[in-house]
Amino acid sequence: MKRKNPPAHRRNRILRRPWAALLATAALLVTAAPPAVADGAEAFIRSTADRVFTSYAEEVTDEQRATAFRDILTATFELRTIARFTLGRYWRVASSDQRKEYRRLFEDFLVLAYANRFRDLGGVKLRVTSVVTISKRDQLVQSEVDPGSGRPPIRIGWRVRETRHGYRIVDVIVDGISMSVTQRDQFAAAIRSSGGKVDGLLAMLRDKTGPRQ
Amino acid sequence: MMLLETERADGVNLGFGRRVRLTRTPDLGGPARVLIAVLCLGSLGPLGCATPPPPDDPEALESFRQTNDPFEPLNRVVFAVNIEADRYILKPVAYVYKETVPEPVQEGVGNFLQNLGSPVVFLNSVLQGDVDHAGETLLRFLINSSIGLAGTSDVAGEMGFVRRDEDFGQTLGVWGADAGPYIMLPFLGPSSTRDALGLVVDHFADPWTYLRYEKFNYARLGAEIVDARARNYELLNDLEKTSVDHYAAVRSLYRQDRRDAIRNGAEPDLPPLPDIPADEEELEDEEKEPARPPAQ
Repeated sequence: MKRKNPPAHRRNRILRRPWAALLATAALLVTAAPPAVADGAEAFIRSTADRVFTSYAEEVTDEQRATAFRDILTATFELRTIARFTLGRYWRVASSDQRKEYRRLFEDFLVLAYANRFRDLGGVKLRVTSVVTISKRDQLVQSEVDPGSGRPPIRIGWRVRETRHGYRIVDVIVDGISMSVTQRDQFAAAIRSSGGKVDGLLAMLRDKTGPRQ
Repeated sequence: MMLLETERADGVNLGFGRRVRLTRTPDLGGPARVLIAVLCLGSLGPLGCATPPPPDDPEALESFRQTNDPFEPLNRVVFAVNIEADRYILKPVAYVYKETVPEPVQEGVGNFLQNLGSPVVFLNSVLQGDVDHAGETLLRFLINSSIGLAGTSDVAGEMGFVRRDEDFGQTLGVWGADAGPYIMLPFLGPSSTRDALGLVVDHFADPWTYLRYEKFNYARLGAEIVDARARNYELLNDLEKTSVDHYAAVRSLYRQDRRDAIRNGAEPDLPPLPDIPADEEELEDEEKEPARPPAQ
């Protein structure tokens, strides 16, 4: 389909409601039909989330969870895209060595920050509530999990991109809070406070993540 | 700017998300905000205000504008004090509460406080033109206050009446008001000019404010703070441990959380993500260091 593309965020706004309506209608019409293209992203998220929550349930120590999380992270996330996004406008001024080190540290940092963040969710079941196309390459798989013990359900949005290697996650949005945006914002602040130097952020990340195993 | 001189703000947002409404707040926020006003409006820039980037750097300017934290240096000082107060007072208290009070009791306390907040949620739903949610909140209040044993049990929730928090800051947002500059309130946590104004309005709109039993409102305030801290105990600790810039992480979370609350959880506005051309990908792959040995 050829058309002039408004900026992505505008496009989202325009398409949001019609898409929702369209998907709802489509869902009604094809409930019995074999999985269509849109189900690819959904199936991918279902299996990935299953892996994550199962690993939370099975692994006992924080270290074990970290190892399991890193395996899932590198296999299912498009880390190169996320890394570039989270460095924001500083990506362009970073040298090739800085970029390389940043990408390595960023992966370690994600493991540190998120491997155990959702450990309470061991064994929960994911409910996919909708799948929306948000840009040419990206879909947003919206889902809910029930954390139990009377707490309200947690909304998890998975931004999925179709890459050369198949589907990959490019962002996770928990209760409306985007992981990528949060990291981008704090990294930008860290760089600003070190006088606009990417090396300042790298030093902080090195410090946080510690020596590599 | 008017806001900076307002008498006091009544609310707390611990970390992110769970807003707790306070009644009868000790008037600690006022002087600090007057100080901000004096420092910034009196153009003693470096003392209290962030220096904008040079005008020849449009990208930096744009990011400065989006962050919208002109009081950042002072905010950071307030934040540091808040963190210390948390470490030595609130966190230990919340820990003891979390570990010693039986879970059903904690749940009952949470439900009770939630139910007390219903009138303000109802009013704001009406102001936002959300008649459905206003009705739902009214029913929740009636059901939980009676069958739900004075609100200690969320019977209405089990019946499918969904709980959702609405406050005047959100109402202003629904009406189209921008969040305004970010403000770190002493002891009360992250806010913005819009949301701080919302706290004041909610305080005066809250029927319990006019209750004759002063002690009740103090007890409610204390309970709300401890309840919120205990519920987010691990999350807030994790966040502190795993951020490179704790202040900026909290600011980002607060901003995103408020936008989500105003949207009532509808699909988020997501930023465009970089599209990496295939040839660049291959180049990066070649550069990439040799794969690390498999994890044990």
